[in-house]
Amino acid sequence: MEKLLELKNVHVSFHTYGGEVKAVRGVSFHLEKGESLAIVGESGSGKSVTSKAVMRLLPNKTSEIKEGQILFEGKDLARLPEKGMEKIRGKEISMIFQDPMTSLNPTMTIGKQIMEGLRKHQNMSKSEAQERAINLLKLVGIPNPEIRIKEYPHQFSGGMRQRVVIAIALACNPKVLIADEPTTALDVTIQAQILDLMRDLQKKTGTAIILITHDLGVVANLAQRVAVMYGGTIVETGTVDEIFYNPKHPYTWGLLSSMPKLNAESKELLAIPGTPPDLLNPPKGCPFAARCPHAMQVCLNHMPESTKVSSTHQAACWLLDERAPKVEPPEAALVGGAR
Amino acid sequence: MATMEREKLLEVKNLKKHFKVDRKAVLKAVDDVSFDIYKGETLGLVGESGCGKSTTGRTIIRLYEATDGEVLYEGKNVHGKKSARELKEFNRKMQMIFQDPYASLNPRMTVKDIIAEGIDIHRLAKNSKERNERVYELLETVGLNKDHANRYPHEFSGGQRQRIGIARALAVDPDFIIADEPISALDVSIQAQVVNLLMKLQKERGLTYLFIAHDLSMVKHISDRVGVMYLGNLVELAGSDELYEEPLHPYTQALLSAIPVPDPEVERSRERIILEGDLPSPINPPSGCRFRTRCPHAMDVCARVNPKWQEAREGHWVACHLYDQEFNKEGK
Ligand SMILES: Nc1ncnc2c1ncn2[C@@H]1O[C@H](COP(=O)(O)OP(=O)(O)O)[C@@H](O)[C@H]1O
Ligand SMILES: Nc1ncnc2c1ncn2[C@@H]1O[C@H](COP(=O)(O)OP(=O)(O)O)[C@@H](O)[C@H]1O
Ligand SMILES: [Mg+2]
Ligand SMILES: [Mg+2]
Repeated sequence: MEKLLELKNVHVSFHTYGGEVKAVRGVSFHLEKGESLAIVGESGSGKSVTSKAVMRLLPNKTSEIKEGQILFEGKDLARLPEKGMEKIRGKEISMIFQDPMTSLNPTMTIGKQIMEGLRKHQNMSKSEAQERAINLLKLVGIPNPEIRIKEYPHQFSGGMRQRVVIAIALACNPKVLIADEPTTALDVTIQAQILDLMRDLQKKTGTAIILITHDLGVVANLAQRVAVMYGGTIVETGTVDEIFYNPKHPYTWGLLSSMPKLNAESKELLAIPGTPPDLLNPPKGCPFAARCPHAMQVCLNHMPESTKVSSTHQAACWLLDERAPKVEPPEAALVGGAR
Repeated sequence: MATMEREKLLEVKNLKKHFKVDRKAVLKAVDDVSFDIYKGETLGLVGESGCGKSTTGRTIIRLYEATDGEVLYEGKNVHGKKSARELKEFNRKMQMIFQDPYASLNPRMTVKDIIAEGIDIHRLAKNSKERNERVYELLETVGLNKDHANRYPHEFSGGQRQRIGIARALAVDPDFIIADEPISALDVSIQAQVVNLLMKLQKERGLTYLFIAHDLSMVKHISDRVGVMYLGNLVELAGSDELYEEPLHPYTQALLSAIPVPDPEVERSRERIILEGDLPSPINPPSGCRFRTRCPHAMDVCARVNPKWQEAREGHWVACHLYDQEFNKEGK
């Protein structure tokens, strides 16, 4: 498999009045050509900051990629000047956000907004761009595209707006699409439409997808591989089956146990006690130690290294050290096939 | 089902809440909805945003005046003219927990004063010592502690703020709580904490809940019975296991099939009913059955006749012409 994008030990900090917020602390993962990778974790775990670092959309003045590399086709995006980045952003790598309104201009017709990127990156004439815009709207399932390109964002429903945003993101045939909670603001029947659409488009275009979400159902639906984030670090990565059926990190166990399962008998959810760490003063050791039922002394003082479980699966947990006691995941964390 | 013998706490009869949006247009947010809530149960209310769940809850509790229909609480009409004493008593017995724990807590009040507001209004404490003790006890009940009493809402996380909201609702010793999307703004791991807390409180205090949410798996988990709304109408209501295992209404079927399940094997092999199109406007809803424009089983009659709200099986209510016996007898 070909690595399209690779993050190596990326650290991102924000400089605030309160001090340095260490939002991303040594994140490494890669994305293969045409695959879909989900990044899952609770809010504040650093998912959006990681993806904005890739897109170089972080505020210049208050934030900093302190360390690490973001390799895309041999270039290190972390150190690329803005000029070079402009050729990549929206063309090679596109991003869509939770709220489609944040990426749409309310005063400009949908058609204009789609055509903008095409004319900038692909040197198309106006009529060529218009034709492509209509085709894109068709591709994302918007009826009457010839009429709708003349309309404004407020004339579209939430689900239709997200389709427009996807059309804009795909306009230049990017190699990577980063979708940050693309369906979180949508109702479940509309979410099903959009997930269907994304899967369909990926088949047609071969675009690799990084899907950011907190919803394990969405992960199971769309992802081939999964990275689980917690407290600015990646605690576990693996194929979607490895993460759901053979999870190794207690935080992954906690996530799986706190979801009600539609076919489950038990009436009590296994909640993770406590709250995530404060990234102004991140803990020295494992970020999950304070909430982990299996925490040992070493967990409090030393950040665990990533340990290989299989060629595609690794987890950063001291329980995987050979000297650690053997611990089984709780019953509630066992999903279907793992039972 | 045991619900037959159980005592009704609340009866909602043909409830309507219409909003005037301009001189001519009327938005029928809730349009002729009927259901009962039994003592000690949790009734879940689901449906996509804008279908009228919150309006139903708010009208029941009198935050909105009903346009038509009745709400009976222990047989007494909640709406209409009331003496000040009666009003106060309704206000005490019925409490509400809101989705947004940020917006629903006054940022300039301490946690203690927020929680004690109801205690003061209803004079449930004799003196400030008793008031304090009650607040401390409530904080403990919801998993906070008395050190939190003198702090302000912004000093708390989302999950903690929701606990404060729950403590405030509990302060006046209510019987019935409407929880309007109480966990939607929280992270998965925190959602489980709050849901466990709500279920524990129900057991300890015999509370009755109307639990409004759009997360269907959480609703199933917490509810005894579940009602499904679409565009201001209740389309189906049944025991939660039955509703999830044998949904009758095509909308319920689509809604359930749309939930992504956290199990990759299941997701790979699943056949989904993907609904076409968007929700129609509630100002100009379709004639007949409101779901017919997106319904995979729509028939001619659906455009003409509003389907009756009927008990298709014992304890399982549905409004859909597919289950219309008279209609079937006519031979379509
Ligand atoms: N502009 C900013 N200034 C200061 N801190 C920030 C900023 N943006 C994000 N953070 C912090 O970085 C951390 C990670 O945030 P984010 O990546 O948005 O989380 P999520 O996983 O929910 O997407 C959080 O603690 C957040 O408070
Ligand atoms: N105060 C109001 N004035 C006018 N329209 C309202 C008001 N409150 C709600 N609505 C409308 O009523 C419908 C139902 O809303 P709501 O009960 O909030 O739905 P839900 O809680 O199911 O998302 C929506 O179309 C909404 O826009
Ligand atoms: Mg985010
Ligand atoms: Mg609502």
